[in-house]
Amino acid sequence: MSSLNASLATALSGLSAEQGALAATTNNVANANTPGYSREVPVLVSSDPIVVDPLTLGTGVTLQSIESIRDPILESSIQQESQTQGQLNAQVAALQQTQTNFVTSTSDIGTEITNFFNNINQLATSPSDLSVRQGVLTAADNLATSFNTTANSLSQQQTSLDQSVVETVGQINQLTGQIAQLNGQVSDLENAGENAGSFVDQRQQAIDQLSSLVDVSVIPSNNTLTLTTANGTPLVLGQQSFNLQTQLNADGLHDVYAQGVDITSSITSGQLGGTLQVRDQQIPALQTQLDTLATGLANSVNGVQTAGYDLNGELGTNFFNPPPASGTGAAASLSVAITDPSLIAASSDGTSGSNGNAEAMYALNTQPVIAGQTPTDYYSGVVFNVGNDVSNATAEQTASSQVLAQLNDQRASVSGVSLDEEAANMVQYQNAYAASAQVITAINNMMYDVIQMTTLTG
Amino acid sequence: MRVNPNPLPDLLAALDQTQQQINTDLAQISSGQSVSVPSDDPAAAAELVQNAAQTSAADQFLRSIGSIQGELQNADSTLNSVTTALQTAISLGVEGATGTLNDSDRAAIATEVQGIQSQVLSLANLSYQGTYVFAGTATQTAPYVLDPTSPSGVTYVGNSNTNSVTLGNQFSLQTNLPGSELFSASGTDVFQALQDLITGLQSGDTTSISAAVGEVTSTANYLDTQRVFYGNAENQLNAQQTYLNSDTTQLAQQQNTLGAADLPAVISSLTTAETAHQATLEAVAGVTQDNLFSYLKQ
Repeated sequence: MSSLNASLATALSGLSAEQGALAATTNNVANANTPGYSREVPVLVSSDPIVVDPLTLGTGVTLQSIESIRDPILESSIQQESQTQGQLNAQVAALQQTQTNFVTSTSDIGTEITNFFNNINQLATSPSDLSVRQGVLTAADNLATSFNTTANSLSQQQTSLDQSVVETVGQINQLTGQIAQLNGQVSDLENAGENAGSFVDQRQQAIDQLSSLVDVSVIPSNNTLTLTTANGTPLVLGQQSFNLQTQLNADGLHDVYAQGVDITSSITSGQLGGTLQVRDQQIPALQTQLDTLATGLANSVNGVQTAGYDLNGELGTNFFNPPPASGTGAAASLSVAITDPSLIAASSDGTSGSNGNAEAMYALNTQPVIAGQTPTDYYSGVVFNVGNDVSNATAEQTASSQVLAQLNDQRASVSGVSLDEEAANMVQYQNAYAASAQVITAINNMMYDVIQMTTLTG
Repeated sequence: MRVNPNPLPDLLAALDQTQQQINTDLAQISSGQSVSVPSDDPAAAAELVQNAAQTSAADQFLRSIGSIQGELQNADSTLNSVTTALQTAISLGVEGATGTLNDSDRAAIATEVQGIQSQVLSLANLSYQGTYVFAGTATQTAPYVLDPTSPSGVTYVGNSNTNSVTLGNQFSLQTNLPGSELFSASGTDVFQALQDLITGLQSGDTTSISAAVGEVTSTANYLDTQRVFYGNAENQLNAQQTYLNSDTTQLAQQQNTLGAADLPAVISSLTTAETAHQATLEAVAGVTQDNLFSYLKQ
């Protein structure tokens, strides 16, 4: 035989459980548009029964916990893909800017090389004509300028990428700080056996943002997380975050340090990785190619020039100022060494009417004087490489964003708030609440009956 | 099975894509180029660099050919004048060798031949655009100077070097004949011959006059054979011009194929993208704002 009070307690448990469940629904609805929010689901469990001989009676319902529904494997995949996406975004944006230097125009390097040789061909038809000679000098100046301009533009881009590196490191430090703090909040709750729900969501959001900036490896441990870069440099250890620093190196660019160790070359992913790759590998490689082209042109033209005779019958002096022996900076510093048109050594026999040396100079156009290729072939190779790098990176970027979109879709289907679902749940809990309330009313009436029963006999 | 309850981000991403396609197509239509940056088509961009270089070089060859044609024509017509002058000298010589003339007649003829000698000297010292054409490569100085110590009356101070000019891939042309191969070649010296004729006429010796006439004739014949050089050069230049013109036409076609926007295809792509964009916009607008909450009666 049970008691009315026991039933009352049971019905009350129903009321509070449904109230609690409704709280979860309310929170879901309020956070329907919160980025990174994982929907909460109340876990209702039947309370332990009691045994009142010969009956086993239930004691109602307990709201055991409110769980956040999230798929950790999906979260991890999203985080990985964010790194790739961040890296590719940075690379594509930077390289698209780089390649504008190699668009055919009236003054790009390729056009100026051809102009220069055209003027030499004209010189070969009239070797002693001063205005034709001046044309050669002007074309040579324009050629040198196009090299200088391109090299400078690449250097400037490196500088602005460098600024971006410093800013990104700042953002990384901010995020690791946030994550460390959230780690504290999460472990406080989870150590007490509670659902750390929204703190975990916020922490995951911060980790996703961090992933788009730098490669991040997540190692979960007792109710807390450790974050490191892909090669193991610690970023967050429990409630402690480790800042990255930047330091100027010998090239005037910033290297990334962690606890005094230079980790610049080990950052391979995220926006920082992409920016560093363009700044430290792709742009320097391009600069080296330009330097090779400038050095090859200057040295080969000088070689022919100094083997011939100028308009005064003297042995030719350097046409271009000799490029640095190492080649580095040749493009930025390429310049014409002569200003007097009569100093161009067009003659091969010392007379003013001979064009033999001008012909030899023209022939450079079709000789493999630049690392085994003709100047135009070499330049067209540079154009191809730049375009190919951008095109490949763009294709990868598109693929990556499609993968990320799919992953986010999947995540939303697991963790996203469906207002329809919440409405249906709300109705459910509401009805159950109403039913429990009715039961309490009935029990109340029965109690009144009992009391009435006792008063009547008094 | 639960599905993504919020399709809006996906729709917005799709809008982004169609807008991107629209922008790309519009850029192609307005520029007429399908390759405006290397990444549009790296292989084509590289080929276009080569194409532009070859086209520019071909245009330069045509300009150089024009310059040289002028020079060569000038030289050739000058040689024509020399030959004509020599023919006149020959007639005069033949006249002077007739037995019926007296000394003063011959002296008069000798003077005429001297006039021809001067004329030939100035023709041999032809200057074209500031340089001496028949001086070999020593073009700053007149190649033939009067020299009383020389038996022919002149000394050649030019050289025997020649110039060639590259006028096409693996095509170059010699552009000059030095005086030493025209007027004062060994065994056939125009000035010597004329001088001998003058000396003969002045001496009155018909034998030596006839011999001198023979000399002048053989130098005139030699000049004619040498002039073949100019005819040949002219023919080669004409042929090269024709070739270069067809080459530039081909290069222009290649440039079109590589880099010109295929307008019908681009317009079609633009239309498709705009339609898709419109449809997506309508979808976004139509994504139901309703959910179950709207229908619950409280």
